[in-house]
Amino acid sequence: MAEEKELYLGYATDKAVTPFMADWLRNLEQEKLMKSKCTSCGTEYLPPRQHCQKCLSICELTEFTEREAKLYSYVIVDFGPESLSDKAPYVVAIGEFPSGLRLTAHITNLMSPPEVGMPLKLAFEKIDDKKISYKWLV
Amino acid sequence: MGRNVAVVAGGHSKFGKRYDATMRELCAEAYKPIYDEGITQDRIDASVLSYAASQFSGQGAGSALIADYLGIQDKPHMRVESACTTGTASLRAAWGMVAAGLYDVMLVLGVEQMNRVSSATATEYMSQAGDMRWEYPFGISFPAFYALMASRYMADYGIPHEVLSRISVKSHHYGAQNPKAHLPKEVSLEEADNAVPICRPLNLYDCSLITDGAAAVVIAAEERVKEFTDRPMWIRGIGAGASEMMIQDRKSLTSIPGAKRAGKAAYEMAGIGPDDIDMAQVHDCFSIAELIAYEDLGFAEPGKGREIVENKENYHEGRIPVNCDGGLKSKGHPLGATGISMTYEILKQMRGEAEQPSRQIKDVKYGLAHNVGQSGQFVNVFIFERGF
Repeated sequence: MAEEKELYLGYATDKAVTPFMADWLRNLEQEKLMKSKCTSCGTEYLPPRQHCQKCLSICELTEFTEREAKLYSYVIVDFGPESLSDKAPYVVAIGEFPSGLRLTAHITNLMSPPEVGMPLKLAFEKIDDKKISYKWLV
Repeated sequence: MGRNVAVVAGGHSKFGKRYDATMRELCAEAYKPIYDEGITQDRIDASVLSYAASQFSGQGAGSALIADYLGIQDKPHMRVESACTTGTASLRAAWGMVAAGLYDVMLVLGVEQMNRVSSATATEYMSQAGDMRWEYPFGISFPAFYALMASRYMADYGIPHEVLSRISVKSHHYGAQNPKAHLPKEVSLEEADNAVPICRPLNLYDCSLITDGAAAVVIAAEERVKEFTDRPMWIRGIGAGASEMMIQDRKSLTSIPGAKRAGKAAYEMAGIGPDDIDMAQVHDCFSIAELIAYEDLGFAEPGKGREIVENKENYHEGRIPVNCDGGLKSKGHPLGATGISMTYEILKQMRGEAEQPSRQIKDVKYGLAHNVGQSGQFVNVFIFERGF
């Protein structure tokens, strides 16, 4: 857990907690968001899992190419956890893609309050040399 | 299903910012009234002594510390942890041991010491109950999870924020009459509706408190009950449920699937339905959670919970009195203590021992406790029956 805590505010590219996550991060650095697919039953996961939730078989990373989503729900965090309190207020949104897969990330360019159902677009953001994240744009 | 088991006694510390006490002293405060009723250490076979988050106190192996402080260090004890359902999970574990015949008499105690760190640090610790890899990096605090439910609920059913504020007004109305409450004061609808935002759409008055406190009950097997009380409260139904770890993976955010499953299982075991319940203690960690609980427990149809609120059916003389002790909002929410505090309040109401007639619910035969952990990953629903 301690190692994952350092991922706060985006994903540290040099601090992967497993080889599977290292692969995922190398792809993210190239602005490829990877989902995973079970090598046995074909179930897909976003964000990825190394083991299938249904049959516990190994999953492999495959590129997730959908970019347009709809806002499923949101929160405007005014009072955040200690490690992110200086970033507040920030907006966290769950977006739902046409495939039904969902993703949780910040919306970073809102000029007016978010609304359930509004269109979102997935984008990538380099936070610094060694940190990267994905985000929603409206 | 094994032996019948009853709650035979209860004790409760003062809830609040308890800078005069740490975990061990709070536990003593909760057990002392039970001791004073004559249930001394030698009459207890074993115990479950639990708190949810060891980060707050830094104490490991805490049940040993508590057992030693209470003078039951030579009796078997254990700690159960399941976030905010730690209290009822402890009761569920103890019930199993007594019903199975392993022990006859058990002390079940829940405690949390939360105010020795700042609010920001407490919020940090609680956010670590989200998925550390996929949720925590985005700063989703505990209120943020419920705000995600609130946004969707409000959009789907078109309810104004005022409905949520009315729940907080009710909680404070009753908390103000509870001497054990953390924040015993009335609030106006205007004050509640316009409070400082915490995680919009939720504001300060939509959020429960960061509280220090402890609560305890003693349970006994049927053949031993009479030795302790002529006013027992039988454990008739226990339902436990669970939901997806990541909130984005829930099919719906307007209901907690684990709570529906837990409620159904508890009703089935007790052989009764929602209409038979005379009072409920529900897990109002946030105002939206109480609204959703009405629907998950079958007191209202989906999307219709607001009618209970607007018609004041949730007040002590209403159709389904809910949290007439102030709830997590005004009484407070010491994580591990909350489920036991709910149990304690139902025992008290059944015995007609509310401090003020203005919060005493009449003739409680069946009481229900609905205890939710994190954002629904854990749920326990208990149904209790008056045994006198």
